[in-house]
Amino acid sequence: MKFKFYKIAALVASVALIASGSMYQASAATQTIRLYISADTNIQDLWVKTLIPEFNKTNPDYKVDVTFDRNGANDAQTLAKILASKGTGRDSGIDLIDGGIVTTLGKAGLLYRSNTGSTPNLKDVPYALVKNGSGGIPYRASTVLLAYNSKNVKNPPKTLADVLAWAKANPGKFTYNAPAGGGSGRSFVQTVLDSALPKTDVKTLQTVASKEAQAGWSKGWEILRSLNKVTYGQNGTYPTNNAATLDLLAKGLVDLAPVWSDQIASAIKAGTMPKDIKYYGITTPALTGGPAYLGIPSASKNRDAARVLVNWVLTPAAQNLIVSGSLNGIPVIAPAKLDPTVAASISSLDIASLRAPYLAVNDFDMKAAWAIEVPGK
Amino acid sequence: MPTSKEVTSQENLVVPKTARFSWLGLVMALPPVLVITCFVGIPILIAAGLSLGFTGGPNRVIALIGQEIHPKNHWWGTLDGYKSVFKDPRFFGDLKLTLSVTLVSTVVVIVMALGMAIYRRIRGGKLATVLVSLSLVPLFVPVVISAFAIKTFYDGTGFMKTLFSQFGIDFPTLTMTSSAIAIGTIWTSLPFAILMISSGLQSIPDALIESAQDAGASFFRIVHTIMIPLAFVPIIIATTFTAIGIMGSFTIPYFLGANQPAMLGVEIPNFFSSYNRPQQSVVMAFVIFGAASLVAIFYVWANLRSAKQSGRI
Repeated sequence: MKFKFYKIAALVASVALIASGSMYQASAATQTIRLYISADTNIQDLWVKTLIPEFNKTNPDYKVDVTFDRNGANDAQTLAKILASKGTGRDSGIDLIDGGIVTTLGKAGLLYRSNTGSTPNLKDVPYALVKNGSGGIPYRASTVLLAYNSKNVKNPPKTLADVLAWAKANPGKFTYNAPAGGGSGRSFVQTVLDSALPKTDVKTLQTVASKEAQAGWSKGWEILRSLNKVTYGQNGTYPTNNAATLDLLAKGLVDLAPVWSDQIASAIKAGTMPKDIKYYGITTPALTGGPAYLGIPSASKNRDAARVLVNWVLTPAAQNLIVSGSLNGIPVIAPAKLDPTVAASISSLDIASLRAPYLAVNDFDMKAAWAIEVPGK
Repeated sequence: MPTSKEVTSQENLVVPKTARFSWLGLVMALPPVLVITCFVGIPILIAAGLSLGFTGGPNRVIALIGQEIHPKNHWWGTLDGYKSVFKDPRFFGDLKLTLSVTLVSTVVVIVMALGMAIYRRIRGGKLATVLVSLSLVPLFVPVVISAFAIKTFYDGTGFMKTLFSQFGIDFPTLTMTSSAIAIGTIWTSLPFAILMISSGLQSIPDALIESAQDAGASFFRIVHTIMIPLAFVPIIIATTFTAIGIMGSFTIPYFLGANQPAMLGVEIPNFFSSYNRPQQSVVMAFVIFGAASLVAIFYVWANLRSAKQSGRI
C-alpha cells in the first residue's frame, strides 16, 4: 500500500513538473499563435508546408501551433467554444481561425476587428472585401471556373446563356454538383438564379437576409429544372460533391462542368486530371468566387501575435506563395504588386472583379430550396 | 433458518437464490450506465428539448446559429418544429425511401441468410463451411471502402457497364438510384445476419432433425416446424439489428443514392449542416428514432417470449 502511494505521488509530481515546464515555456520570449484550420487538406498544406516555415524565417520569435479540423467537421463545437469563452472571459485556445466559420463569427460580432492601424497591409486589399468580412480578414481567394475536355469541345461556350444552350445541344455531357455538397455546383446554381434576378436583388442577397428577394428565384429554378433531362445521367441526379464532379470530368463522362479554380489547377499539376482538361471563366454573369477569411476571436489571448501573422500573410512575399505554391490560389492584393512571373499565371483573374457569393443565411436557404425544386423533378 | 430464499425451478431442483446487495456488482455495472447516461441519455434529452423549441441553456449556441428555429410558446414547448418538417415536401419522400429500402433490404438479407444457414445445417460439409466463411468477408471491409467499390462497380464506366457493352448491351447506370442503395445495404448487412442465424441453427441438436427425418418429415416440414422455431430468437435479433442498421445508414446512401429523395440518414446531416436547420434535423432524428423503436419492440417481445419458454420469468 505504501509503495502504491509513493507511485501516485511521483506521478502527480511529474505531471506538475511537466505542466509548470510548459507554462514556463509559454511565458518565455517566444510568442505562440494558435492557428485553427477548418478546411480541406490543401489548406493545411498551404499553412504547414509553405506559409508557416516562410513566416518563421523572418519572424523567428513566433511559434505557430496548428490545429487541423478536416472540412470543418467540428465547426459547431468550435463556435460554441468561442462563444462560451466570450461569455465566461476564459481562453478558448484559439488565436487565429482559417475557415468558413469566420464569416459566421464575424456576423455574430465575435471577431476582433482589424483595421489599417493594427494591420497596415490591409491597405492593399480591396475595401469591399474587407467590409464584407465583418471582422474577417480576406487573405486569399478562389473562384469557380468552367472546365472542359478540349478533345471533345473545340469552342467552349463563353457566356452563361451559351453554356445552357451547349448543355441542351449535348445531352449527358454537362453537369454540376449538388449545391449542398460543394461550392462549385453551388456557384453555378447561384449564377443561374442571379441571371434571372434584377441587379438590386442580387446585391441584397449578397448582403442581407431577405426572403422577399429569394422569392425571385422561381424563374431560375425553372431554368435549372429544364436541365434535368440533359445533365449527366439525364434523370435529374447530380454528383454529390466537388470531388465527384472532378471524377466525372477525369473519366471523360462529362465534357463541361463548373469546378473550383484551385482544385482543378492542383489536379492538373498533380496529374490526377488528364492534360486535355482546360478551364476558363465565363461572363454575363461570371460564376461566383470569393475570398477566404482569417479571423481573430475577440477573446483571443495572443491577438497581437496573431495580428503579426495576418499582416505578414498580406505581404507580396506571402501572396506570391499562395499563388505559386501547391494551392494555386488567387491573391487578395493587386497582381501588379506580385512577382511578375507569378502574376502572369493569374492575369485573367482579378479579385476585385469576382462576383460575390450570397450571404450565408441566403446561401443555406438556396441549398435547401434547390433540393426541393430541382433534382428528380 | 436458511439465510437465502429458496426457489423451485421447473425441474423441481432446489437452487438457492442469493438476493444479497453487492457493492462489487454495482461498481461493475456503473461505468457503462454512467457512459450511456452522460454521452447518450443527456444529449438525447437536450435534442428533444431543441425539437420542442427549448432554445436556452445547452441549446443556446445552436439556436443562435441555426435558421428557421421555432422557439417554444407554451410551457411544454411547441410543435411548430415538427409541423415544419411534416409540411416540408422532401420529408415524406425521404421517409418513404428510408422505410422501403429498410423493408426490401431486410427481407432479402434475412431470406438469403436463412438459405445459407439452412444449407450449412442440413448438408454441412467443407463446401458449406467455406461458403459461410467467404460470406463473412464484407464484415471486415470498412463500409466507406465497400460503398466506393460498389459505386465504381456500377457507375458510368463501371465493370457491369463495360462488360455488357462488349456484347452491345447498354447496362443501366445504377448509381444514384434506390436500387443501388438496396444493393449496398444488402452487401454490408448480410454477413452479420448469416453469422447470427447460422450459429442459431448450428445449436439445434442433431437428434431432433434426425428423428423428424426418420418419421418421414419433408425438408420444408423440418425447416418450418423445427429449425425456424428453435432459432427464433437469433433470427429476430438478426432482423431487428439489420433493420435498425439500414434505417440509420449514412455512408451507403450518401455514395450511392440520388440527391432527392435521400434516406433520412443522409438528409439529417444535410439539414443540420448544409441547410443550417438544426431543429428540423433533430425532429427527423426523432421520427427515425420512433421507427427504430417499433422495430426494437419485436426484439424485446422475442426475448421475453424465449425467457418465458425457458422459465426464466
